[in-house]
Amino acid sequence: MKNFDIKKAISNNVIVVFLILLCLFFGVMNHNFFSSINIMNLLSQMCVNALLASGLSFAIILGGIDISVGSQMAVTGVVAALIASKIGSMNTITALLVLILTAIVIGCITGGIIGSLIAYGGLIPMICTLAFLTMLRGLAYIISGGGPIYGLDSNFGCLGARRLIVTESFPNGMIPTSVIFTVIIVCLMHFLLSKTIYGRHVFAVGSNKNVAHLAGIDVKKVTLIGHILCAVTASMAGVVTASKLQNGQPNIGEGYEMFAIASCVLGGTSLIGGRGSVARAMFGVAVIAVINNGMNLLNISAYWQKVVIGGIIIIAVLADTLQQKRASKN
Amino acid sequence: MDACLQVKNISKTFPGVKALSDVSIDFFPGEAHALVGENGAGKSTLIKIIASVYTATEGKVYLDGKECAFRSPREAIDAGISVIQQELSIAPDLTVAQNIFLGCEPRKGICLDYKRMEQDAQKVLDDMELNIDVKAYCRDLTAAEQQMVEIAKVVSKNSKVVILDEPTSSLSEKEIESLFVQVRRMKANGVAVIYVTHRMKELFEICDRVTIFRDGCKMKEMMIADTDEKEIVANMIGRSNLTDYYNRHEHPIGEEVFRVENFSKGSVFKNINFHLNKGEILGFYGLVGAGRTETMEAIFGAASHDSGKMYLHGEEIVFHKPSDAIRKKIGFVTEDRRRTGLLLEKPIYENVGLPSLPAHGKRGLVNTQWEKEVSKEYKEKLAIKAPDISTITANLSGGNQQKVILAKWLAANSEIMILDEPTRGIDVNAKSEFYALMYQFVENGGSIIMISSEMPEIIGISDRVYVMREGEISGELFSNELSEQALIFSASITSDS
Repeated sequence: MKNFDIKKAISNNVIVVFLILLCLFFGVMNHNFFSSINIMNLLSQMCVNALLASGLSFAIILGGIDISVGSQMAVTGVVAALIASKIGSMNTITALLVLILTAIVIGCITGGIIGSLIAYGGLIPMICTLAFLTMLRGLAYIISGGGPIYGLDSNFGCLGARRLIVTESFPNGMIPTSVIFTVIIVCLMHFLLSKTIYGRHVFAVGSNKNVAHLAGIDVKKVTLIGHILCAVTASMAGVVTASKLQNGQPNIGEGYEMFAIASCVLGGTSLIGGRGSVARAMFGVAVIAVINNGMNLLNISAYWQKVVIGGIIIIAVLADTLQQKRASKN
Repeated sequence: MDACLQVKNISKTFPGVKALSDVSIDFFPGEAHALVGENGAGKSTLIKIIASVYTATEGKVYLDGKECAFRSPREAIDAGISVIQQELSIAPDLTVAQNIFLGCEPRKGICLDYKRMEQDAQKVLDDMELNIDVKAYCRDLTAAEQQMVEIAKVVSKNSKVVILDEPTSSLSEKEIESLFVQVRRMKANGVAVIYVTHRMKELFEICDRVTIFRDGCKMKEMMIADTDEKEIVANMIGRSNLTDYYNRHEHPIGEEVFRVENFSKGSVFKNINFHLNKGEILGFYGLVGAGRTETMEAIFGAASHDSGKMYLHGEEIVFHKPSDAIRKKIGFVTEDRRRTGLLLEKPIYENVGLPSLPAHGKRGLVNTQWEKEVSKEYKEKLAIKAPDISTITANLSGGNQQKVILAKWLAANSEIMILDEPTRGIDVNAKSEFYALMYQFVENGGSIIMISSEMPEIIGISDRVYVMREGEISGELFSNELSEQALIFSASITSDS
């Protein structure tokens, strides 16, 4: 009986087991992998994708998608940089406020428009956000005047380029602020999805809109809010990136939507909606980050990393499909 | 006469369940052979074995005396065994002709020969004396027409054996009649028809022979001419005493609780006036398409209406959306469990709690403790057969799924329950249990509006009945006036007769 439970626990957490195996593999292949510097690097590399995936989970579980998150990052990044350049010199608190408020405001505006078009205008999420993918990217270039906005106060880097807890072995600080910020946001999003009534409504709408409607759930409102959450977290990823680069670049986040979608799928989120978890998506984020990082350490070209990640997505989805089939047979 | 299809000593075991044990039946050409039994009695398993969807654990199937060893449903179809599923399997975005020849399209070289396809389809439809445009897209057809297209598909293949699995569940009386015309035509052409149904009336109208299943075993095979409904039902449920089937007993009926005045919506429903009394089971009878479901959806706030007023306990109320109705303690058990009743991939407790989460949550959080307690309570009270409240609802039988939906609205403290075809597709025992639960609900002070197309059910349990015809209420009958004739008369006379 005990054996059976272990087996079940493993088959329910394939992604976790896979992550551990990956880490062990890279750890054996390169002794630097488990060094504290590399682990901190790894965590800070995960931040942007973790933020994107946490919000995207909502859009996907609702039965939709948002492929405009990468462009969303760019727009918010350049707007934050533009505001910072207008303010000039500022202290850490002001910089934080500029970054976070810009993310919230821009995210609410674009997410509100996208969500309204999908929920109330009846547009197909894929097509609607495809349009926003090019539109927002264009706007990012227009706002920035085509090139990066630089010459910002060094405090602009407070969310992405700074590390806390200075020790002797870490003269520049140990834990990146971006990691702390990401952990807070991801925990909030996980809590929202798994513990609140709103989160439960997201699952209900994603599994069956008719049932949700007849159970008194405002399907359109739930959908709208889901897309706003998705856009706000994408905007946060945008300001974290801008803060890290200490300037506003209109070309950031290109293709990042694919990594975020892949992370959700690796974490078991169903692309037809109704099933998924923010916490599990984080394991997907970690798998992708570890593959990139580990292959870098082994000096394997970035092109091969793309091929490998694609292959792993196929394997993960295939394994999930087979498991579902087996579950429905029993 | 030789049997064209024989199943011999068929057994089928699924992990943990013996679905069929030692079943042998002969099917004869030109004969309609009914398979009846409760859900889970083994009829569907047998059909799937005949159609080669499943392989039998033991036993063999013979077609024209030769053993069938098909590896896929496709090979069974090619050999002349066709199944018309309960749920229509028509491709809605293809034309009638394309659907009829789906999978065996006539070709000219490597191209499809559309012209011949349409001509041949026209010929098939002409032979069946059907007036359907072969170039029409199937999504524009009515459910009945789509079914005719499925039958045409089977006819065009010259099938020797045609299996009809609950073919009438989505058809109106008139449409059923035209289906029967086609079944008789198939019989006349020497096709062996296997007919699976829950409806006794059809059995006596169209079938020649009946085999009754119970718990995976063949109970009895009889000629229809030699038996009657009582005997068949008794064999199905394994008890001969049918008097308490509806479990009807007197219960007190109080004053008016709900009233609808002049409810209208375009041509969908017009001038609907009715009232519901406390403790009453109010039947809504009518043919499919009479506007009953649409009316109830509008009352519940799930669909719009043009004009009309509603009064709850004498006070005027307006429901803009379902949550308004739920707050006023109205529940709606919909017709289609899978499409509008349950979150199939979710556990029982998430379904039961769904409409009541805002009422029991604090600061926007799900009250999981309440949710699980109330689910356990109703799982016990309604005798929902499931290992526990975390069971995924897709894995429950139809009757138990229906109980989960009922539990959902009981957990929402509903005082008025709208039930739309509450016992469709669930077996006799489950029906009987469900009626008992309905009585329990009204005896505890609730009131029920029940839409049903099954006359025995309407007559068996309603205290009062409104009949709808073409979007209007065409009659009100009290329980002492209820009879099949009275219902048919109100439901089907046209305005000029």
